[in-house]
Amino acid sequence: MKKIITFLLTMSMVFSLAACGQGSGDNVEGKQGGEEKNEHTLTVWAWDKAFNIYAMEEAEKIYQKEDPDFKLNIVEVSWDDMQTQLGTILSSGNYSELPDILLMQDFAYQKYVMTYPDFFTDLTESGIPFSEFPEGKLGSSMVDGKNYGVPFDNGTEIAAYRTDILKEAGYTLDDLTDIDWNEFLKIGKDVLDKTGYSLLSVPATSSDFILQIVQSAKGGIWNEDGSPNFVENELLKKSMSIYKELLDTGVMTRGNSWDEYIATFTSGKTAGVINGCWILASVETAKEQAGNWGVTNMPSLPDVQEATHYSSQGGASWGVTTNCKNQELAVDFLKKTFAGSIELYDTILPSSGALATWSPAGESKVYTEPQDFYGGEAIFELITDFATKTPTFETGVYYTEANDALAVAATNICSGGDVDQELKTAQDTVSFNMGN
Amino acid sequence: MTRRSSNILTYIFLTIVSFVSIFPLIWMLIATTNRSVDIVAGKLTIGTKFLENYRNLMVSQDLWNFFGNSVKYSILTTVCSLFICSLAGYSFEIFHDKAKDILFKLILMTMMLPFVALMVPLFQMFSKLNLLNSTLGFLLPSLSTPFLIMMFRQCAKSFPVEIIEAARIDGLNEFQIFFKMFVPTMKSTYAAATTITFMNAWNNYLWPKVIMTKSSSQTMPMMLSSLTSGYVTDYGMLMLAVLLTTIPTAIVFFVLQKNFAEGITGAVK
Amino acid sequence: MALFLMIKGDVEMNLRMKQKLMGWLFLVPAVALIICLSLYPAIQALLISFKTGTGVNMHWNGFGNYLRIFEDKVFLQSIKNCFFYLIIQVPIMLILGMILAVLLNKPNLKFKGAFRTAIFLPCATSLVAYAIIFRSLFATEGFINSVLIKIGILERGYNFLSEPTSARIVIIIALIWRWTGYNMVFYLAGLQNIESSIYEAARIDGANIVQTFFKITVPLLKPTILLTVIMSTNGTLQLFDESVNLTNGGPANASITMSHYIFNKAFLGVPNFGYTSAMSFIILIMVATLAFLQMKVGDKRD
Repeated sequence: MKKIITFLLTMSMVFSLAACGQGSGDNVEGKQGGEEKNEHTLTVWAWDKAFNIYAMEEAEKIYQKEDPDFKLNIVEVSWDDMQTQLGTILSSGNYSELPDILLMQDFAYQKYVMTYPDFFTDLTESGIPFSEFPEGKLGSSMVDGKNYGVPFDNGTEIAAYRTDILKEAGYTLDDLTDIDWNEFLKIGKDVLDKTGYSLLSVPATSSDFILQIVQSAKGGIWNEDGSPNFVENELLKKSMSIYKELLDTGVMTRGNSWDEYIATFTSGKTAGVINGCWILASVETAKEQAGNWGVTNMPSLPDVQEATHYSSQGGASWGVTTNCKNQELAVDFLKKTFAGSIELYDTILPSSGALATWSPAGESKVYTEPQDFYGGEAIFELITDFATKTPTFETGVYYTEANDALAVAATNICSGGDVDQELKTAQDTVSFNMGN
Repeated sequence: MTRRSSNILTYIFLTIVSFVSIFPLIWMLIATTNRSVDIVAGKLTIGTKFLENYRNLMVSQDLWNFFGNSVKYSILTTVCSLFICSLAGYSFEIFHDKAKDILFKLILMTMMLPFVALMVPLFQMFSKLNLLNSTLGFLLPSLSTPFLIMMFRQCAKSFPVEIIEAARIDGLNEFQIFFKMFVPTMKSTYAAATTITFMNAWNNYLWPKVIMTKSSSQTMPMMLSSLTSGYVTDYGMLMLAVLLTTIPTAIVFFVLQKNFAEGITGAVK
Repeated sequence: MALFLMIKGDVEMNLRMKQKLMGWLFLVPAVALIICLSLYPAIQALLISFKTGTGVNMHWNGFGNYLRIFEDKVFLQSIKNCFFYLIIQVPIMLILGMILAVLLNKPNLKFKGAFRTAIFLPCATSLVAYAIIFRSLFATEGFINSVLIKIGILERGYNFLSEPTSARIVIIIALIWRWTGYNMVFYLAGLQNIESSIYEAARIDGANIVQTFFKITVPLLKPTILLTVIMSTNGTLQLFDESVNLTNGGPANASITMSHYIFNKAFLGVPNFGYTSAMSFIILIMVATLAFLQMKVGDKRD
């Protein structure tokens, strides 16, 4: 028996040593991290090394000129991971695990602010010059008239076309500028006949594209009381029918997944793309197509009074959490960089293509420089101009649910379903999700 | 059918199955030498961009930090959980009685609840215990798994009871019987369990991504997730990272698979 | 004499007691960990499942969440999908795994290590890579389509992932591809515990391969088979990765799994952890029922 006890003790010692030894080692590390968190350090969560994180690092450098001790502790967290982390942290109420500043997708702002009112700091009165951002962009990080984020990543809608293929079919970029969807269809069919190329592709997994069209006509998908407005929504129905017609005629193709969608234009299977301007980063990966692309505005909804050629998709903003112990520093940092430094935007635009949403930066010379990839077009100036004309769009708290339900409806309609019936089903699904 | 032709058929069958199995791996190997654009377009020939992809990966990610974390977490998980679970599985079978059978079923049930439901309560607990960003935080939930316990319980069924009785008469205590008789005899099961546990720990993702909020404590799967999160995904770089993530498990398996062939007949003479 | 018997009985009693105690002692670490890290949070989750609300504003709701499940069309669809995968994929995978294990257990076979490693590798391959590969293989202009066109089965490319049935079949193929080698490992390990003398005896009795397989291998592998059946049932009803990465549940939720739907509800949309917990317990009930039925058949003690 003695032996057994000795043995058991030894084993449990070995085990606890192995585990706790590691644990305590980590704790030391944790303390060091805590010490690092001095008055001049902020923790930031963001995704995309080449884009958002790069911009943050440049902003750090700029702010360091003023405060040499200033340091950012940037943690790379993919958006997928961040949603899981945030969901767990916020629901468990352990807000102390949150970073000081984090990047938030614009479409998810309303959800997080409404569901967890203590998550983001209200920045309305912070002195950040919000009036210097275009309304369409600013709206997504605003809830009930209050600002919860500093807009950063630009999601202005653009239409980009392969000018060489258009030329082959006898068209120019001008023929596709300021047109409506009926004209687009006509040209699209002609291009398809003459060259075999579809003019457009979309990923099948979301209804983003349909919502972009709705937004361009100053439409929405919610009623005043917050309930979904699909069935009686003429703009939505119209957008849906255009979507169907584009697919039926072959003018538009669908990729089953995001990378299949990207491949349609990078490997030269489709002659155009309509999406948020960040899609250009993917377009540009096809280096052999350099010089053969052109950028213009998107087609408008025909026979609609309010219709415009401008919309937006995606984009993100910087939010300050309530866990931030040094709010003043965080606000001052954002004010002097993302909402106040032309130098910052002049640095990040040429090297990463990060377009400013802060209007004063758009007037900088860098924006007027011609871009070789787009045949010498000054696309940054163009897109900054589009941004000011973009209508606001109410994403709503249940945007993800609505988007999913509409994607299902779109898929069913395209395989022969009835528009009214499918929209009714989608509306019921969203209503069901909104009820408890 | 002669013995020889049946043997040839076996080889042909196994070759086909093996090829189908490793085809994606070959594709991945080829992909590490190509440009992102070509990979997405489905290019199947070897390119020249391997060094470029390697350099990009090294510049963009703190690869060895993630790799080291993954190695540390996986080895510790494997060693500890094999010990804990085999002890329990052995006991559930060798010392079984009504109470233990019921307890076993209860334990089995905890595996059937999706982890998503446990995440928020577990996070609360770990946050209170200050276990976030720690090795122990990674280890604890995967140390005692119903799956491993059941695996050892099932294999203990083929452990001859006569050996135990004989050993007891020889004066060996229960721990000695476990370590001197059971463990060596069940070498093949331990080898299999090591491979599987290592792989599961290595690929463990949902829990670590919730508790590892610092770059210094993150793992390989989280790095892969970061590599795909940008506006532009560099698939050449990604495939190289994926390859590096796959290799350790493959090595562990290859080293241990020989032990699968030396079971009870070899050990008990 | 009586005294001697009493002492002997006492010693035996003592031994029995000691063994019993040891049995429990062996269980302490494993059981303690499971109680703290699974059972306790599970009970908390059970309590949450009777509450409803978004984010942190939760209130009691009785069985409301459980009743709500029956009106949730997407969740009902996901239950159907999971059982479709379970019924078709698990038997194929396990039988194939067993056949491979038996073949790779032949003592005179060459390159055993290479074959085994190759067949095991799919489950070690990271999901990111294999999802991309499977999607491109089954794309309209992908490898599978071009082969089918060449053989003359198809006239033009078929978009497998955009049709409900074919999307589900792609998931099943992917699952078989990925997990057959994994299950083979258990059978290989299990086969080592069968003494080769039994096979010798069978051969001398003139039994052929098929007879040996069904009369000796299968019965003696029974504990391992039960293990793999229960684990595969659990794994399939909790399937997540393939649904997320291969088809993203599409087209139109035709291939979505229960865990995928629960995850979406918990982390992508507006969270109601009460409802997601309730759905999780429905999975628990389904798996437990099946597992205990399987144990009734396969785990009899003599």
